[in-house]
Amino acid sequence: MRISVISQLQRSFSMEFPSLVSLKLPSPMETHLWYIRPDEVKIPSLLKHYSQLLSPSEIDKVSQLRGDQLKKNALLARTLVRTTIARYQTNNAVDPRSLMFKKNTYGKPEVDWQNYKNCNIPPLHFNISHTDSLIACGVTVHVPVGIDVEDKERKIKHDVLAFAERFYSADEVKFLSTIPDPESQRKEFIKLWTLKEAYVKALGKGFSAAPFNTFTIQSKAGTKGEYNLCKTSEMTTSSLEKTNNCNGEWKFSLLELADSHYAAICIEDDQASGGAPMRVIVRKTIPFVEDELISESILL
Amino acid sequence: MASIAASSSTSLLARPRQLVIAANQVKCFSYGRRSYLSFNLRQLPTRLTVSCAAKPETVEKVCAVVRKQLSLKEEDEVTAATKFLALGADSLDTVEIVMGLEEEFGIEMAEEKAQSIATVEQAAELIEELLLEKAK
Repeated sequence: MRISVISQLQRSFSMEFPSLVSLKLPSPMETHLWYIRPDEVKIPSLLKHYSQLLSPSEIDKVSQLRGDQLKKNALLARTLVRTTIARYQTNNAVDPRSLMFKKNTYGKPEVDWQNYKNCNIPPLHFNISHTDSLIACGVTVHVPVGIDVEDKERKIKHDVLAFAERFYSADEVKFLSTIPDPESQRKEFIKLWTLKEAYVKALGKGFSAAPFNTFTIQSKAGTKGEYNLCKTSEMTTSSLEKTNNCNGEWKFSLLELADSHYAAICIEDDQASGGAPMRVIVRKTIPFVEDELISESILL
Repeated sequence: MASIAASSSTSLLARPRQLVIAANQVKCFSYGRRSYLSFNLRQLPTRLTVSCAAKPETVEKVCAVVRKQLSLKEEDEVTAATKFLALGADSLDTVEIVMGLEEEFGIEMAEEKAQSIATVEQAAELIEELLLEKAK
């Protein structure tokens, strides 16, 4: 379903940009995944409009990046976050320019609602991730979310198994080493990377709170696109006695986006959903221009 | 993936610069219950030096590893002050850079420290710290 607010032809002329179309909030245990393809956003007047939404410190950060592509992608990332969050404020029209952000104690970005104390603000959580060719933003209510996207074709400069042995858990190394074809092995490595990154970002406590080799993520047998998180206990020295603590505190979803990227989503389980898998609604967007509902889920 | 702009979703914490204050010897005298502090007046003012500098060779080797990992062109400038994020490195790149540095220098970096280096200089300083530890 495409919602085109203005036609392609009109965009090439200078015009008033329409106000943002408001959005219905995600339901509990549902993640809304929004993404932009930078190569689809080229109109200078649109990019200029986006740059007017950013705060001075955001503009400053963008200017410190090397090269036009990096600058543009950073601009689009901030635009995606601001416009998406502003659109969910269905009771009050929120100007994306006026949103303020802060970081939690560990550096995870979140919305600073201090200026909206009297309004009925839904408890939105968000997280962004980007690659050269795709920028994504995940949104949830009530529960923390972490997302990570990677280009499917991304080449790892080191030997995949050597990398895994250095950074991943023992069980994950075992899993990867059973894959005979190097190309499939590389793909599984990337999928694992996105899942592990998504978890650390959802946790929001920085990498030292969850070093990659202290937890294992594996697909849940008999399901499609569902994963388990198991934390390795460091209590014993013998690997045979290492206990794996696999509780259901975190839910994962791994999708293929736009035929080109893997996207992993991790949300905290609110325990009320009775073990049901996460719902994901994926939409491609060009802020102020159009949204495209991609599909309900494309699970891996 | 590391997010590039202001609200970065990956916490790459910049390590504060170390300040070394070169103070002169302070002499203390006690007289009864009072103590007097005496400064050697001739050597005032106290000198402030910023402890920086990893050796230039270390910095150069780090730059080479970074260039290789990020496939930079000849004309892309990489110096001690260069931030990885500014070059477009994401978290996967940073971890690969760490692996490259570990191989180059024969050291092992603790993951939390590895994730917190944000510039070439910080990497070089951490490497030299680890090499010193190793030599003990």
